[in-house]
Amino acid sequence: MNFFAQIGILLRKELVLELRMGYAISGILLYVLSTVFIVYAAFFQGVNSPMLWVTLFWIIMLFASVNAIVKSFVQENGARQLYYYGLLDPLAVIVSKMIYNISLLFFLSLLTWAAMAFIVGNKVEEFSAFLLALFLGSAGFSILFTFVAAISSKADNNSTLLAILSFPLVIPILMTLIKLSVVATGMLEDTGIGKDIGILVAIDLVLAGLTLVLYPFLWRD
Amino acid sequence: MIRQSWWKILAVVILVYTILAGMLIPLKPGIAEVTPRALQAGTEVELTVTGYNSYYAKAKNDLRAWLKLKGDLVLKAARIEVLNDRTMKLHFILPQYLPSDSKDDACSLILDSPIDGAIVLPEGIALTQDSVNLLEGKKLWSVDKMDQLNAGPKLTFPYRSVLYESIRNQYFHVPLWFAMIFLFMFSVNFSVRYLRKYDPDADQRTLALNRAGFVFGLLGTVTGAIWAKYTWGAFWSWDVKQNMTAVALLIYSAYFILRGAFQDEEKKARLSAVYNIFAFAALIPLLFVIPRMTDSLHPGNGGNPAFGGEDLDNTMRMVFYPAGIGWTLLGFWVASVAYRVEKLQQRLLDA
Repeated sequence: MNFFAQIGILLRKELVLELRMGYAISGILLYVLSTVFIVYAAFFQGVNSPMLWVTLFWIIMLFASVNAIVKSFVQENGARQLYYYGLLDPLAVIVSKMIYNISLLFFLSLLTWAAMAFIVGNKVEEFSAFLLALFLGSAGFSILFTFVAAISSKADNNSTLLAILSFPLVIPILMTLIKLSVVATGMLEDTGIGKDIGILVAIDLVLAGLTLVLYPFLWRD
Repeated sequence: MIRQSWWKILAVVILVYTILAGMLIPLKPGIAEVTPRALQAGTEVELTVTGYNSYYAKAKNDLRAWLKLKGDLVLKAARIEVLNDRTMKLHFILPQYLPSDSKDDACSLILDSPIDGAIVLPEGIALTQDSVNLLEGKKLWSVDKMDQLNAGPKLTFPYRSVLYESIRNQYFHVPLWFAMIFLFMFSVNFSVRYLRKYDPDADQRTLALNRAGFVFGLLGTVTGAIWAKYTWGAFWSWDVKQNMTAVALLIYSAYFILRGAFQDEEKKARLSAVYNIFAFAALIPLLFVIPRMTDSLHPGNGGNPAFGGEDLDNTMRMVFYPAGIGWTLLGFWVASVAYRVEKLQQRLLDA
């Protein structure tokens, strides 16, 4: 079975597993909704400035992503993972998890956007730029968090470890995303938007490349 | 290399030299203050000049001063009254017209003394005139000539407004960063070696280098923060490079916590090596790319001029480059001590 066929099978497995254990995905959805509602309740004067809106959006996304991804190596026990590694290429396992997490996070970010628009109000004016930011952000978050989750799943208290290990690394992605999103709200006229996109794409590619190089040292126990 | 002592002696010699030279060499004489700053054409004015590191009284009879407009148009001081080494009064008889086609202009003040050399206060003084007469103004301002300027004292650091004496921090803040980057680079190198050969020694070296690098990073941040307090007004100004520094320190803190999370030595070494490589590669864009693309208060970033030109003269280079080498060597010395401590602890555990 070649590499891409393996990825296809693993992706289908992830999806089936996700839908069969419905509580995980619905838990994340509820998490997003309740966080957005808390934001709405906490800022009782309303979230008026686009800057604040964007910042809150990405903070909600950040925590939702961590919660969504922390389970990617935990929900299946060690023995079953060993079985995958024996049967399939370990790289196919991590790549399929990354692709799956990118789509999950992209879906999650669209949902967060919808929830923010519904409860707090929509501040985005340039939809295509914001969609691009969502996609690049989901990609960056999921590549980083998936890899770090693979490291932290080897330790005991892995959800704390995931946050500690990944938050410093996520800051440059987050800062660039916020800048890009603020431009998408039409608050700033930024001619250097291409540069920000370039930085994000570069960071995403570097992280993805590193994951592919380093994962072979990570999976075996 | 670790057991040899020549490079440790070299580090001490270089650091003693840079600290002595960096602290003892005086700043170039400069103009600290001039009052008044706004002059009216056609009047006789008295400028009070306050100098910095200057010796006006010593050069009393050879002092000269000019107001200088664009081009070669200058006006020589009619009379100079020296009060002491740091203060003097300059008397200028301003002509009726300025060689300018508007009512306002700005001029520089230039002092010349055989001891202090030529000192320029650029564009610091505003001039106004009631009516415009370009030709007459040019004629009136062409009478005096500025020539035979003296060279100043050779062994000095530049006198820069805002920076002043804090320019000496250049020999601490920046080299500490160099040392940190080199230490982290070597630690990545040993992480790679660990993943190739699974040699526990490479892991201990990585740990020691990261510990030393972290301390140097902290020192670089603290020296930078103190410098920022005196030049930018606050210890922390949310400058992009400061943020990236904080991120870098957080990343390496996370590295130490990750090591603590495992009991098994082999697992600890392998996973921390993987994280170390991953974190370092994520750090490069942080430290080198992003600050260059966004606004920053640091020189060389966001349109600010890089250190160089008048900020880094040859005297400073004579101290700054050795300082970079010296602090880097000291960093590796600290790392080698940390490595031997780690080795000994391991031996105690095994015994």
